[in-house]
Amino acid sequence: MSLTNFQNEFQKLLDRKYFSPELHPVRKDAFSKFEAIGFPTQKWENWRFTNLSALKENHYLISEVKDAPQKTPDISNYKIEDLQTIVIYNGHFQQDISSVPEGVQLLTGSEYNELKNNQLNHSEKSPFDLLNTAFMDSGVCLIVGKNTIVGTPVRILFISDGDSSIMVNPRLHIDIESGSLLTFIEEYVGNATSLFQNEAVYITIEKNSEVEHIRIQSSSENTHHMANLHVEQFEDSQYNFYQYEDGGKFSRNNIYVDLNGENSECRINCLSLSRGTQHLDNNIVVNHNCPHTDSSQIVKSVLFDKSTGVFNGRTVVQKDAQKIVAHQSNKNLLLSKSAKMNSNPQLEIYADDVKCSHGSTTGQLDDDALFYFQSRGIPKNEAFVLLVSGFVIEVMEKIKFEPIKNYIDKKMNTWIA
Amino acid sequence: MLKIKNLHAQVEGKEILKGVNLSVKPGELHVIMGPNGAGKSTLANVLAGRDKFEVTQGKMEFSGNSLVDMLPENRAGEGMFLSFQYPVAIPGVNNMYFLKAAVNAVRKYRGDDELDAVTFLKMIREKLKVVELDDSFIHRPVNEGFSGGEKKRNEILQMISLEPKLAILDETDSGLDIDALRIVAEGINNYRNNDRAFILITHYQRMLNYMKPDFIHVLMNGKIVKSGPKELAHELEEKGYSWI
Repeated sequence: MSLTNFQNEFQKLLDRKYFSPELHPVRKDAFSKFEAIGFPTQKWENWRFTNLSALKENHYLISEVKDAPQKTPDISNYKIEDLQTIVIYNGHFQQDISSVPEGVQLLTGSEYNELKNNQLNHSEKSPFDLLNTAFMDSGVCLIVGKNTIVGTPVRILFISDGDSSIMVNPRLHIDIESGSLLTFIEEYVGNATSLFQNEAVYITIEKNSEVEHIRIQSSSENTHHMANLHVEQFEDSQYNFYQYEDGGKFSRNNIYVDLNGENSECRINCLSLSRGTQHLDNNIVVNHNCPHTDSSQIVKSVLFDKSTGVFNGRTVVQKDAQKIVAHQSNKNLLLSKSAKMNSNPQLEIYADDVKCSHGSTTGQLDDDALFYFQSRGIPKNEAFVLLVSGFVIEVMEKIKFEPIKNYIDKKMNTWIA
Repeated sequence: MLKIKNLHAQVEGKEILKGVNLSVKPGELHVIMGPNGAGKSTLANVLAGRDKFEVTQGKMEFSGNSLVDMLPENRAGEGMFLSFQYPVAIPGVNNMYFLKAAVNAVRKYRGDDELDAVTFLKMIREKLKVVELDDSFIHRPVNEGFSGGEKKRNEILQMISLEPKLAILDETDSGLDIDALRIVAEGINNYRNNDRAFILITHYQRMLNYMKPDFIHVLMNGKIVKSGPKELAHELEEKGYSWI
């Protein structure tokens, strides 16, 4: 998609009455910055292994009223027990089938903006952040007040369907005030024939709060998926992130976590499963801006066929951030000679009293293990499935909410088999 | 039950087995001894069907079927079992899950009904007592973080769960303390009967103190160069292999 196309679409968006004019200034500002910077190229350090040319060739239109569903979408295929769901279809909020659990306040983007006195939290870390701010739609803002334990997890289900070539720029703000707990799930599904999905998620976790965040990316095989996640954590907060992805033609996740309070802790767990010519890409930056902070990254990929993957993991420890613990691990399983993984774990440490480790391994299935299984009567194909499951299982194992863990396990097993 | 005739095998182009002849009948316990590099482990792996070992000449028959082109999982189904010298650790795969998959795969091959979870658990608890391991053992990942003795006992646990006709034990006694050695030896002894045969590959005769082998074979330079009764093991222990 060329810049001109984006300019046309942006003008179209400004002309549509249903986009609140209060947000126009921040949109315009972001768009002009995007115009100045343009798309990342492979000369940019963190985009070296990420080829965006396919994305640029396509032409995407903003999602309009005609792209809303004709009738209430059927979500029975995505049923998970004991949670509440907010449904967004091609960027359109589906009020009839959406609900939030007790303790969660749901606001639209413009309501949230008003609450924040037009000071919307927005990042300029990547051109796709700017693009999201310029085009943001399907705004979902969840606020959990002080000392509130939200017992029921909330899921935002994004369904993208249909034959028109559209772009959706979901914008989520999740604010957890002090002493609270939320389990929140983003799930991306659908059969869209041509889609550019560019979501931005901003999460603020105040003092002594905990967020369990699960992200499931199973977009259609023609989707170009860009995810921009920004997490800010304060004192004594805990953030557990689990990402399962097996969808999309191209997917890139930009994950930024700032540990801004002592004793804050984040656990990032990502699993990418790819086949065909899929490209799944994780770019993670964890900033230890405070002493006594703790982070871990466990990122695994399984690659079949001619699929490709990228892991850029960066852990930055600022000068005064002493006594921190940071671990980073990237493990990749290549199941074909043509599959390719680029792994780039990095530690950037400016403090001197820290405990950090990082490691990366990329390899094939262990022949000895395969033979061991066969020698016990387990047929080779079954042994293969067991071993691949064994490789991936660790990543999602610690999810606390059982129904979602089972849901992901099922997806995972179907994928592997 | 097992007939090996003039078996030649190579690995990565290097010939290791140079004409092995061996015949094992139901109920028999054969011991294969020999110096390092003689081809003992190669023989075990060739019998179990490891594909990096290539059979270049000769015959192997098990219960009347040629083994040369048989898949390893089918050999297990037919009733062959190899206890590995170095059992591989498999993080992420639960020992019980693995055992259940193995037991049911073999049952399926033999035309028996697969065991449901409850029946399986009951069965495996009985077997755990034989190898003197507690329940927690089967909930750990396969061989991951197991001590040497635990790994070997896990092999025996698999053996008695899979009920083979022929068990080949490749240095199952190496690196075991005296207790583990006793447990492993008893596991084998209790399991011997008129229909089941064993091939024990070992360096040492100390495990033989616990059992009654029918034949001792000396494998050297890819061939069985001497066979004899149990006393041969004592002689080898005292004199080494140079006198042969």
